[in-house]
Amino acid sequence: MTVDEDQALIKKALRGNRRAFEELMRKYERKIFSFVVRMVRNEETAVDLTQDFFLKIYTVLDKYNFEYKFSTWAYRICYNLVIDHIRRHQAQVESLDDESVSPRDMLESENVNRDDGFRALARRETRDYVWSVVDQIPLKFRELILLRYIQELKYEEIAEITALPVGTVKNRIFKAKEILKKEMDKDGLLS
Amino acid sequence: MACFPEETILAYVEGETGAIETARVRDHLLLCPSCRQSAERYRRLEQALARPIISEPPERLLPQVLNRLYPALPRITSIAAMIAASLVFLITWIYIYFDFSGSSLVQALRLAGDDASGSLAGAIKAISTVYHGAQAVQKAGAALLRILLSAPLGAALAAVILLAVSGLLATFLLRPWLKKARLPRP
Repeated sequence: MTVDEDQALIKKALRGNRRAFEELMRKYERKIFSFVVRMVRNEETAVDLTQDFFLKIYTVLDKYNFEYKFSTWAYRICYNLVIDHIRRHQAQVESLDDESVSPRDMLESENVNRDDGFRALARRETRDYVWSVVDQIPLKFRELILLRYIQELKYEEIAEITALPVGTVKNRIFKAKEILKKEMDKDGLLS
Repeated sequence: MACFPEETILAYVEGETGAIETARVRDHLLLCPSCRQSAERYRRLEQALARPIISEPPERLLPQVLNRLYPALPRITSIAAMIAASLVFLITWIYIYFDFSGSSLVQALRLAGDDASGSLAGAIKAISTVYHGAQAVQKAGAALLRILLSAPLGAALAAVILLAVSGLLATFLLRPWLKKARLPRP
């Protein structure tokens, strides 16, 4: 489905066409849910937040500017919703603005190496293992990896959504990959 | 040639380097096993990340959103069926309660059957036969109702039915307006 098709659906939805809005939701449902569930790491919360996202989209649809890509606009709303939730409900959230990889970040990623049944199973395939490690890395890195690879966004789009400079986005994604690469190296998965 | 920073190697793997830098990194990788190995690791990592594991949302997710956005209203067909059923019930009850079998219309039908000939007479006789059967049932019903229902109770019942029919008609006629009023406008 192209961007124009998204916009055609939005125009129909704005005229009260239920099917058009349903189609729009179906198109984004899996990617939005995957992003949210990996951000909050709780399925029930992810369901609630994904539903809140679609309700929000519906109520602000008339504010959408047709000069921009709908997906970027929608992902920004989703991102803000999730970040707000995390800030309100998760006690220990590391600073999202901090550039450095702190000892605590690395400690968190060190924990990834502790074996459990799930990870032993996931290790059978590099892809599964990489994504299980993504789930464990600090939020400030994880969110960018998710936007880049689940939402398939360009660096510039990620910068627009997260309100971070493009350079920061690139730098954090690089650091995230460094963490992932180290974890993979420890297990000999990339060698 | 000095090794490239890891960041540049990653950018090369991602295809984010410019043409000149891409050529320089490529040349370097041919000569440097360490950087080549690093690039290969990033490539594998990139391949794994490029195939994200998409979580399947539960089936209830979208229907619940739709129910909140578009609250279920009675379908037109069900409204029509309820109105028709109410009307049939109301007419039947009035007919039975006031015993219209002796009305001039019914008498005229009987006389027309006596005077007619051929297939028309057959049709009228068939209708009359069915009618007489229905009349017998009706009389039994009327007798039962007279026992069960006093006149005030019957009037109350008629009022309730009329009220129900009016309510259904109002819902049907106001349906588009109700739908708009309940929704947050996009």
